[in-house]
Amino acid sequence: MTTAPDLTTPPPSGAALVDGAGDGRGSWMPTLPMIATRFMELRKRRGLMIALVGVTIGIPTLFLVIRLLLHAFAPNTYGPAGGYDIFTALVAGVLYVFGFIVAATLGCTAGSVDLTDGMFRHLVVTGRSRLALYLARIPAGLAIIVPLVAIGFTIVCGVCAFAAPTTLTYQGVKVPAGLSRTGLEHWAADHVEAVVCNFPPTGPNFQVTVVCPNGGPVINGGPASGTPGQVPPRSNKAQAVQIADQYYSDYSTHFLSPPTSLMVEAGLWIELEAVVGFIVGLGLASLLGQRTIAVVMMIVLEIILTPIFARARIPHFSNLQRAVVGLATAHLEPKALPLAIGGARGVDLLPESTTVAVCVIVAWLVGWTVVGAWRMMNRDA
Amino acid sequence: MSTATIPQIPDEHDAQSRWAVETHGLTKRFGDNVAVNGVELLVPRGCAFGYLGPNGAGKTTLIRVLLGLTHADGGTMSLLGHPVPKHRDVALARVGAIVDEPRFHAHLTGRQNLQILAAAREPAARDRIAPSLERVGMSHRADDRVSKYSMGMRQRLGVAACLLGDPQLLILDEPMNGLDPAGMREMRDMILSLVAEGRTVVLSSHLLDEVERTCDAVAIVDQGRIIRQGPIAELLAGASVVVQVECSDPHRACALIERVAIGAHLDVGTEGLAITLPSGTARDVIAEIARVLVEGGISVYRLQPIQTSLESWFLQVTSRLGASE
Repeated sequence: MTTAPDLTTPPPSGAALVDGAGDGRGSWMPTLPMIATRFMELRKRRGLMIALVGVTIGIPTLFLVIRLLLHAFAPNTYGPAGGYDIFTALVAGVLYVFGFIVAATLGCTAGSVDLTDGMFRHLVVTGRSRLALYLARIPAGLAIIVPLVAIGFTIVCGVCAFAAPTTLTYQGVKVPAGLSRTGLEHWAADHVEAVVCNFPPTGPNFQVTVVCPNGGPVINGGPASGTPGQVPPRSNKAQAVQIADQYYSDYSTHFLSPPTSLMVEAGLWIELEAVVGFIVGLGLASLLGQRTIAVVMMIVLEIILTPIFARARIPHFSNLQRAVVGLATAHLEPKALPLAIGGARGVDLLPESTTVAVCVIVAWLVGWTVVGAWRMMNRDA
Repeated sequence: MSTATIPQIPDEHDAQSRWAVETHGLTKRFGDNVAVNGVELLVPRGCAFGYLGPNGAGKTTLIRVLLGLTHADGGTMSLLGHPVPKHRDVALARVGAIVDEPRFHAHLTGRQNLQILAAAREPAARDRIAPSLERVGMSHRADDRVSKYSMGMRQRLGVAACLLGDPQLLILDEPMNGLDPAGMREMRDMILSLVAEGRTVVLSSHLLDEVERTCDAVAIVDQGRIIRQGPIAELLAGASVVVQVECSDPHRACALIERVAIGAHLDVGTEGLAITLPSGTARDVIAEIARVLVEGGISVYRLQPIQTSLESWFLQVTSRLGASE
């Protein structure tokens, strides 16, 4: 071994030692270099990063690319790759669940690798606060998972917005998208037959008879008042307008492409789910001291326990069920999306107010952070 | 689990304490097993200090307690004059340590691992990464992944990690493990050079020969207790002395010496007569042995007092302890 001049200087005096404590080493606040190197440590895990990128970006991208190709080669058979329906399905069906799982996997990794790799004792011996060592993992991990989820979500938004259908098919009829109530009424007045044949009216006051494209007479809303083919034009038009008015609320929820407001809401919601997954995974893995069991527990929570607790009505345990974080995040889901944890929206989800849902999420974030930090501060290194 | 009680807040005088490591009644239990049993340890500054003991004696546990890797159940301790764990951050700011086998993030390079550790220290530590790697002879492999390192290279990287904090005190637990003879010699030279710079090195090892060559003072620990400590020369001066006698008739020589009441243990072997004298025996006794043999008509070809090695002394001390039990 050779001697380097920089380290051959005499060691510092006792007074210098006291100065050495002035670097905030005992503070609970992690420094930027600590966060940066922690970020580097996670980012350099090649297998983990491939898995994260593959799930958060690769799966939705692959799905959309296949749809783009199919539509390009057989447009009559396969619809456009994007659009409103594809967006909602991808967000609620793929990004939500997979985003949580990959975030939890990253959190479990961040919470356990120092222990399993034997680096924790090196870090403790530096004299740095164990709390700071723990807290440094949070921004470092979030700096990885949040952009990854954002990139995957942006790709979905982009394809769904720019490869959306050019016409809206509503109730089996091609209808112009984005009409106002008046606009839809005007369109109905010009398309009486399409409206009457495809938009079943509700209520007893409809006495409209038209000949539908299938050739047979159709009587809507009551007994026929005239001979088929001899429909009083003004009467049918007025009632078609009335039917369109009935359908406007439902029609207004159908879009060619996802509206900007929905994309923003869904993006924030997906990111919230990823943050929850990461923080909970970090705390759980820190508590357990190893990764595999923590990851399995997180997957079980998300895939099995949450759907069960979200629907089952267990006597005397409903408040406990409401404390499940997956149920809370499901209640914060944008209303335009299908229910992320399965089932029809609002049909059988255990009721929970938004305030309670927010409190549950905050409690999980804070609680698991406290548990993980406490364990790391008291663990034998 | 209770932690070690700290008697007072350190002042400047404490920071200038002559002891690099000071423990009083330090105790650590694992259930019914007392791994560290009321240890009273004083390690002077600026020396290489050996911490010796058989396997399971509690060497590593004491180091772990000192470094705050695990809590003490009783007693007080200070590093570089700063009581720990109360002022652990100040104390450890100038302490470097290897505990057990040095392990690192295997997917990162040696340099990247040091960057992580430097980030947890003061900003100046980042500037010491390259010199530290250079000093342990790892510059040429610094950008290889640790997964490709041999055990000896990981040991060197561990020492480089210790040097990041420009330490006044280095605590090295079995630093020779995994090193080849050349590596052991380099490690020994480096430890000596660190001591020459005024740093204190505490060396925990079971390689007694290496400790004897490297350290100025030692402490012997057994079953959680320190049974001897002090400068090696002083400790060995209190050990028994063996006088090896090569002569014409070892058996008759043995009989002649038995008549002289010098309290020696005699043993006739293939190399002649071995006379073990109790500790503190005056040099005149050796002259008396020579005189008795010559007057008895024995031809003496060689009469050589053999200095007790640390290893034989260690075995004497520990076996004595075992015998007393």
